[in-house]
Amino acid sequence: MEAGSKTAECEANKMPRRDFLAWLSGAGVVGSALAGLVATFFFMKPRVTFGQPNRFLIGKPDDFPAGSRLAIDTKRICIVRDGERMAAISTTCTHLGCIVAPSATGFLCPCHGSQYDVDGNVTGGPAPKALAWYSVSLTPSGELEVDKDNEVQMGTYLNV
Amino acid sequence: MSTTTEKKPSVVKSVVDLPKNVVRSIFRNPLPSSDRGRAATSFTNLFLHIQPVRVSKRALKPSYTMGLGLISLFLFGILTVTGILLMFYYVPSTEMAYNRMLDLRSSVAFGVILRNMHRWAAHAMVAVVFLHMCRVFFTGAYKQPREFNWLVGVVLFLLTLFSSFTGYLLPWDQLAFWAITVGTSIAGYAPFIGKALKFILLGDVTVGQEALLRFYVLHVVVLPLVLTLFVAVHFWRIRKDGGLAKPEEEKKQTAQVVTGAEAATTAVPVTTTVVTTASPARRFAIQGLVRGPFVKVGKLEEDTVYSWPSLLIAELFVLVLTIVGILVVSFYFNAPLEHPVNVMHPPNPAKAPWYFLGLQEQVSYSAFWGGVGVPAIELLLLVLLPYFDRSKKGIGRWFARERFLANSVFLTFVVINIILIVIGTFFRGANWEFVNPF
Amino acid sequence: MRAALAVVSVVLLAGSGAVVYKNFQSDWQSTQKSYFKQALVQVKTPAERAALEARQPRIEQTIVTAFGTQRVDRCESCHIAADDPKFAAGKEPLRAHPYSSAMGDVFKNGRWERRHKFTDFGCTACHDGQGRGLDTEDAHGVASEWPEPLLGYVVQADWDKNASKHLRDKDFIEANCVQCHTDKNFTGAAWVNRGRDLYFSKGCFGCHKIEGLSSGSLGAELTAEGTLRKVDFLWAHTVNPRDFTPTSIMPQFKLSNDELKALTIFLKSLRGKTNAEAPTDRYKMDVSTTPPVPLSVAEVDAQFKAASTPAARGEQLLHGYACISCHKLSDQDGGISPDLSYEGLIRDHDWLMAHFRDPKSRIPDSNMPAFGLPDADFNDMSAFLLTRTTQPPAMTPAETFKTLCARCHGENGDGKGTSAIYLDPAPRNLTNAEFLISKPESRFLTSIRQGVGGTSMPPWGKVLNDDQIKGVFDYIATNFAHQQRHEIKPRKVPDTNPVAFSPASAARGQAIFLQRCIGCHGRKADGKGPNSVDISPRPRNLRNSAFINSVGDRRLMESILYGIEGTPMPSWIDYGLSQDEVGDIVNFIRSLNTGTATKAQASASNTGGTNGSINN
Repeated sequence: MEAGSKTAECEANKMPRRDFLAWLSGAGVVGSALAGLVATFFFMKPRVTFGQPNRFLIGKPDDFPAGSRLAIDTKRICIVRDGERMAAISTTCTHLGCIVAPSATGFLCPCHGSQYDVDGNVTGGPAPKALAWYSVSLTPSGELEVDKDNEVQMGTYLNV
Repeated sequence: MSTTTEKKPSVVKSVVDLPKNVVRSIFRNPLPSSDRGRAATSFTNLFLHIQPVRVSKRALKPSYTMGLGLISLFLFGILTVTGILLMFYYVPSTEMAYNRMLDLRSSVAFGVILRNMHRWAAHAMVAVVFLHMCRVFFTGAYKQPREFNWLVGVVLFLLTLFSSFTGYLLPWDQLAFWAITVGTSIAGYAPFIGKALKFILLGDVTVGQEALLRFYVLHVVVLPLVLTLFVAVHFWRIRKDGGLAKPEEEKKQTAQVVTGAEAATTAVPVTTTVVTTASPARRFAIQGLVRGPFVKVGKLEEDTVYSWPSLLIAELFVLVLTIVGILVVSFYFNAPLEHPVNVMHPPNPAKAPWYFLGLQEQVSYSAFWGGVGVPAIELLLLVLLPYFDRSKKGIGRWFARERFLANSVFLTFVVINIILIVIGTFFRGANWEFVNPF
Repeated sequence: MRAALAVVSVVLLAGSGAVVYKNFQSDWQSTQKSYFKQALVQVKTPAERAALEARQPRIEQTIVTAFGTQRVDRCESCHIAADDPKFAAGKEPLRAHPYSSAMGDVFKNGRWERRHKFTDFGCTACHDGQGRGLDTEDAHGVASEWPEPLLGYVVQADWDKNASKHLRDKDFIEANCVQCHTDKNFTGAAWVNRGRDLYFSKGCFGCHKIEGLSSGSLGAELTAEGTLRKVDFLWAHTVNPRDFTPTSIMPQFKLSNDELKALTIFLKSLRGKTNAEAPTDRYKMDVSTTPPVPLSVAEVDAQFKAASTPAARGEQLLHGYACISCHKLSDQDGGISPDLSYEGLIRDHDWLMAHFRDPKSRIPDSNMPAFGLPDADFNDMSAFLLTRTTQPPAMTPAETFKTLCARCHGENGDGKGTSAIYLDPAPRNLTNAEFLISKPESRFLTSIRQGVGGTSMPPWGKVLNDDQIKGVFDYIATNFAHQQRHEIKPRKVPDTNPVAFSPASAARGQAIFLQRCIGCHGRKADGKGPNSVDISPRPRNLRNSAFINSVGDRRLMESILYGIEGTPMPSWIDYGLSQDEVGDIVNFIRSLNTGTATKAQASASNTGGTNGSINN
């Protein structure tokens, strides 16, 4: 093993190059792994779903007479038309997820007696917060589209 | 609780040292700077301890193994990862399966690339495992004491084929349906149990929902599990059979054999693992238990290097190369997806997967002999081979002259099978008639 | 090794980057972005602008479960402007789907309102294509694997070129309209209706079965043809069936392109089951607005009764059942089946009735379907045919041949007339001199005068007088055979079978037959042995009782012993068969044809039975 010291010298010279190569390899492998993780994240996140869509058409504004408050239970929303303004209010109780029913004073939950006013503010019962409002927009073909992925501030109306 | 108060001052230090301590707790050794450290790194790490502390330089030479076994393992890894991901979107139902394929191709992010990778890696694994087997034969590496590992290897080859075959049905397209129809019909030619085997495999008289479910379970649970088990045995045996096969002469030069009595005493310090000193003359390492009553304690073999980092870098290189290869192929070539299943309209010709086309070609000459007889004989020869070829000559060298006959015979079999596959793949058209692909 | 590792690692990183990049650069994403950009130009209110600017590309998907199977249509991911009137003049894919009052769209309050809303119907219910696909190739079904490419727009690469050029036409979508609009006279699907009319007027119904429409059994069942085949096949197969199935007996109809189109659309509309059978009533057109068109059974009946005589009714029936789409009658010619113009001279009532009930009872290999009509109809049609007794005007032998014989035997006498391929046994090749000079003239004259039993060769004895028959034969002999007739050496053949008929003899004959004859005549002696396809003329069907029973033992014995010149039938005396052995064979052949009468009755009663069940 006379060559031992010589090898050591050589290795010492090689060190910066080796470090660089190691860094490059490490960057490549770790970077690819990260890219793989990102890809897996997007892969796992469905871009379409096959259940009840969160975005749907509910008809033309004319279908809703002025002053009407029409609950659509299958979609769990209530369409409110106030003059020329329209909005969609959630009918899912913020307490434990029952379907609230529109009443003369607003909304009533049949399960635990939560009460809301016409805008969805809590007026009684165990409900912790107000009913959500969803964005309503007009499609180019003139139909109303509700997007339950898009909550808006209470009192945001669509002018029709 | 009282101890906590006593050590209160060190909390700050604990916080400061937290990252270091966590790292230390995971990697028990720091990045090795000495030979001792290198040895310890290999020895104390679960993932590395399957490797020897030192590895022969020959084994590292790409021209010897070509990394084929390792590539097979990594392909299996790729298949496992992509396969598990694909399982999140796949439904083994005749009504849903094809739609899910379409979804993978359209609405699922990265669905195309994952499916492509899975498909091409599966094909590649069949090919590479076969090539690995050829490598082992041509270097005489199946000879004693490695007979059993050869046997395990043959089983692994069959499991690979069967895994790929069961996966073939899952897209539920015309290609899948008819390939499995043809493939299982070949199985049906087996004597005595053929019909029952086919029935059990399909769960019905024809390929249908039951077959899809069965193939799915086999493909995603049963076969990978069995395969993993055999891979573990395969690797363990590589170590215990003395690492990669090396030529007899080289072994004699370096290895010293001590008697059983000595072994008994030297075997005790196994727990202390490796003893290295600065003096090269006194360096020795325990190579591990080999077959027989001997413990091999030798001088350090001159033509060996430490596994860390030499072997590790080589392995990492093969891993990255394998992934790159599969990735590039998957980027440019889409996995086939044909017509949804139409039970009434078989494609003409209906072909089995390519690796069974040699069989199908043989079947077109004689159903029993081509489909069952010849393959069974070939398989039997493969299994018996190491128990009848007891000569220790020509181990560890490619195409050793002493093994001219054996190599020629094996090469003939390989070439015949490849030719049959090529004919079946490219030269057979409608009604299994000979066509010119050019 | 370190350097190599570094290189591949960097390559891997680049590859992973490329994969990630490619995933977020799909067509639909860029299409939607360009839609937002173009829409932004036209916005009026700031709110709209803000809403548009906030929009990110996403997969637009409609799930429609109303039409039998679940349809997932993602077409609007690219065709995102399909319902945006501002893009009426846009360029595909950013173009609004046209509005059409014919489709039921209504113009109201300055806005069009669709009858078929995309949210209710999706896209593929009308257009076909692959709803789940998100790039053009996939979604439009351009690749040849896809069974339902965009109807009328997409032509797949492997389609027949001649057919393809006719298949780009949005009229083809009508095939899908009728999946819901099932009422027969739906005006929106004029092509389908025309195709259905053609299906009857061209006589297709005689051979094909469509559940609820017709019950022919000779051709393929078409009940679900539209799900099994693409339009290219339907078109090209109708143009020439033998391009696809060399053994097809389907006639090659001479159809105009419009007729082909109508038939193709009609056939494509056949799915075995329409959406009307699924709970889709809410999507159905208000049927009450279209006036109910009665099939006017009463009218037809009245007209029918006005025809006083059976013969007159028969004539109407003959046209009503589209017999002329195959047969010839006076100046109308379907070009496929025999001439009926002299039927009254050729056949009698019993023959016609038996043949109507089951054509195979008279001509065993006939391809005419047993139509299974009521006997009364057959009676009337028979009565009409029996009025066809006008003899042809006196003509030269050449003219006679051309008028009466060439239809089957061909203008050149080569046995390849226009209807020859539909006849079994095939018409004799009259240019086969070897055959023609090997048999005595009297035999040919008899064949012309009395016809050949069990074949489509009719007895011309009442149509032509003996001189004319002799004239035609001389014409054939001089013009086609081109060989001088010579004296025929009498052969040593017994006039009657030397072996008395007995089951034992027939069994011996069968043993020899199975050894020597099945290569050509087939194991069933039906003339369809493995070699038969390569043989001309085709081997005789020895189960053709009408033929076998019309020839004497002498002829059978001679044919076997000495062979038949000009045909592949060899002289078996040369192969060592003795006269007694041939006698056994003849007995075997006779034993195959003893049950004629009972068989004919059986099949007749069968037909009756089927009729009964249909009527029930």
